[in-house]
Amino acid sequence: MQEITSYLAPRRLDEALQAMADGDATVLCGGTDLAPQTESGMRQYKAKLLNIRRIERLGGIEATGDKVRIGALTTISEIRCNPALAAIAPVLVEAAEHFASEQIRNAASVGGNLCNASPAGDMIPALLVLGASVELACWRDGAVRKRQVPLEQFFVGPGKTVKLPEELLTGVVFDRPAAGFVGRFRKSGPRPALEISTVSVAFGARVAGGRLSDVRVAMGSVAPTPLRARHVEAALEGKALDAATIAAAVAATAEDAKPIDDVRASAWYRSHLVRVFVEEVLNDVRGN
Amino acid sequence: MKRDAIGSPIERKTLIGQRVRKPDAPDKATGKTRYINDMVLPQMLIGKVLFAGRPHARILRIDTSAAEKLPGVHAVLTGKDAAGLKFGFVRDNVAIKDKVRCEHDEIAAVAADTEEIARRALELIEVEYEDLPGVFTPESGAAQGAPLVHDNFPGNKSLHFEFKHGDLAAAEAASEFVVDSVFRPHHVTHCCIGTSCAIADFDHNGKLTIWTQTQYPYNYKMDLAPALGIDPGDIRVIQPPIGGAFGSKLDVYPYEPIAALLAKKAGRPVKVIYSREEEFRASPTRQAAIIHMRTGCTRDGVLTFRSADVLLDNGAYTSWGPTIPVIMMRTTSGHYRVPVVDFKAQAIYTNNPYAGSFRGYGNVQTTFATAQQMDMLADMVDMDPLEFHLKNAQKSGEVTPQKSFLRECALPECLEIAAKTSDYSRKRREYAALRDKPGRYKKGIGLASSIHNAGGAKIHKSDGIGTILKVDDFARVTVISGASEIGQGIDAVITLIVAEELGVPLEHVTIVNNDSDIAPWDVGVHASRTTFIAGNGTRRAARKAKAQILNAAERMLGEPADTLELRGGFVVRDRCGTPLIDLERLLRRMHFQAEPELVMVTDYYEPKSEPEGAKHISDHSAAYSHAVHVAEVTVDTLTGEIKVDKVTVAQDVGRVISRMGLEGQI
Repeated sequence: MQEITSYLAPRRLDEALQAMADGDATVLCGGTDLAPQTESGMRQYKAKLLNIRRIERLGGIEATGDKVRIGALTTISEIRCNPALAAIAPVLVEAAEHFASEQIRNAASVGGNLCNASPAGDMIPALLVLGASVELACWRDGAVRKRQVPLEQFFVGPGKTVKLPEELLTGVVFDRPAAGFVGRFRKSGPRPALEISTVSVAFGARVAGGRLSDVRVAMGSVAPTPLRARHVEAALEGKALDAATIAAAVAATAEDAKPIDDVRASAWYRSHLVRVFVEEVLNDVRGN
Repeated sequence: MKRDAIGSPIERKTLIGQRVRKPDAPDKATGKTRYINDMVLPQMLIGKVLFAGRPHARILRIDTSAAEKLPGVHAVLTGKDAAGLKFGFVRDNVAIKDKVRCEHDEIAAVAADTEEIARRALELIEVEYEDLPGVFTPESGAAQGAPLVHDNFPGNKSLHFEFKHGDLAAAEAASEFVVDSVFRPHHVTHCCIGTSCAIADFDHNGKLTIWTQTQYPYNYKMDLAPALGIDPGDIRVIQPPIGGAFGSKLDVYPYEPIAALLAKKAGRPVKVIYSREEEFRASPTRQAAIIHMRTGCTRDGVLTFRSADVLLDNGAYTSWGPTIPVIMMRTTSGHYRVPVVDFKAQAIYTNNPYAGSFRGYGNVQTTFATAQQMDMLADMVDMDPLEFHLKNAQKSGEVTPQKSFLRECALPECLEIAAKTSDYSRKRREYAALRDKPGRYKKGIGLASSIHNAGGAKIHKSDGIGTILKVDDFARVTVISGASEIGQGIDAVITLIVAEELGVPLEHVTIVNNDSDIAPWDVGVHASRTTFIAGNGTRRAARKAKAQILNAAERMLGEPADTLELRGGFVVRDRCGTPLIDLERLLRRMHFQAEPELVMVTDYYEPKSEPEGAKHISDHSAAYSHAVHVAEVTVDTLTGEIKVDKVTVAQDVGRVISRMGLEGQI
């Protein structure tokens, strides 16, 4: 076990990024994943423990222009209670509703939920159907360098992302959904709260003239990473939501969802739940 | 001083059954309470346990030399430090094992300056195992030729229980309907918010002080002593505020003797505290069981017999847990009138984590089975289940085949109230009719009833409690009681009863019930006995104190003691409430006189129940309580998700002492 040799709590982003430049810092925000993971030995602390909570302007929700930006420090509770998001992207608020428990929602940040890169991460499918990208920042050659990565390219495996050790996730951005956008989120687990999803499904699309366009479907807990369900999307794109389309989309889930058996559920049950949720969500959208 | 109040009459008032704040609530709600987790003793070391991580294995080699050399490590234990120090219900357990019998078996332990050093020391311990085939269900454990968990327990047989009453063959022959089914209630963990923790410290006379969260401090000493090879009299048990027990603290578990053995070896106090992960891994569970139950009835729906053949998953060691058939058989033989009973239970050793005692003590498992079969039989007879339950429900004055005397049996009333409040019969018919109709969501409603001892269970030689009560010169009362507070609210009960009997404010009562060197004996918190037994013990002690005070008042005031009463901090005339003397003043006069007397009384209360006995034919509790629950659920037939919409409870709670305690527990 490696000892934590220093604890840092900078107020400025550049200070934090400089501390991370050697790749030997553990980032602490809400700590709701970090604490149990280090406690159980799943994960080791690096030499520096870097508390990013005090960094100015790293939190907050900006939803005034064409882009919506959610700062990395924004808690799940803040997303859940944000009136602008409730109007613009209710699917995100719906996902926040189903996230863990009140105490964890108050501490956990959206940045942490993304960087933890759990296949079951609750905010991820909702952000995927909004077409979100993440902002990554690092200190290089004496300056803060930033890049954007589409969220669907961010995850590479359970707990693994393309983020480099010296990079900090500073926020998540997405285009303000167009008029006629509808979104849905559905999650399942044996308990109504404090539950790691057995399966989650998010849906987002524009509905105009009875037809779907810009369809995005995302799934959690059915593969090593949360994923975009391309086959389901293809079955829906440009179609009218009738019984045949819904049946085709449900059938296409088999191409996208490749779940495994584990302690929380069998692969069979997960595949079944995906079909149920996709059908339920589409019928719900059709009904409205 | 309240002397100026003398003159205006004081009315008779009672707080019994009122919503009164629990005395420990403000400190607990604000975080002021110091739990054992918070406790730090000077020079205290942290102990950590190495778990085997495999279910059945021989230990070929264990090397602790690197761990012992690590700076900051003060003691390392392996199986040889606990060799021969057998403890447990049948003496089949040791604190540190020399053979692995279940996944969480304790193979080594260290005490170090910090938790980090202790963890690192565990990593330095080298163990070489030879894995052995294991048994993981009671059936496979009982099978011919199954691997033995303990060489000295052939057939993997642990405890066995039996009760027979009447002629089973004849009863079966007379039955029009017989239902025959197998139920498999599973393992459940207590999941106390406060994880397992003990702090142990020896003095140089060899006396052990152990701070632990036990719910039976006196018999605990008997159970802990053999694990350490010391005299039970040399153990002092101190119980800090507890973070949950639910029956789990009704036994000694290996972390407790491990803390003590480490403390002895290190010569310093040692604290062992489990993380949440360690708690799930190493703490006991509710007994998983396989219940083969058969019940018969006549064409008219009158029960004729009930048989139960139970296999219990003992796990690797025998704690108090496998004694649950004592309660299982009372549910099987009672609350519904069964003239013929045939009950047997066999606990089988397996390589699973071992089961401990868990609230309900076996009742949960058999209540599930009997309730299911009552519904099945009602359907076979084609009778409304409520009517079927009522027809067979026992009534006040009946005696069960095991000789439980139901002085007051509220089962019929509970059935009627719960069914009426929930509209059970109508909903059951309606939901049943909708079962095969289209629709994703189905509704269901179910009814179950139980009997449980409500005045202790005399499984020990005594089911009694000792109480010491003193009233000081300021009319402050201290009750030194054997009854442990484990969150169930006995402190509130004791306070209310003292205030009722002695006419003092609730805040003027102090309770000392957390130190085995101070408080007198009690059998422990179990069997829904504490409010009844400790409540009666407190009342008897308070009445003795009151008699002493009123006799002194009679001598001083010249008014007969039996016309006097204590109310609002005064001695008053019982009839009209006229205050005669301030209680504080009276107490000081009693104390500082030519023939001084202090008010300090003792009591030992033994309920009028009968010892359980080997045949299990006895009125083993001073009272029996009945309950009926009706649950309404919605089932999502596409996902299998079940939502509990409503639960209606009708429960015979007897006389309510602490209303908030009652509300918190139903």
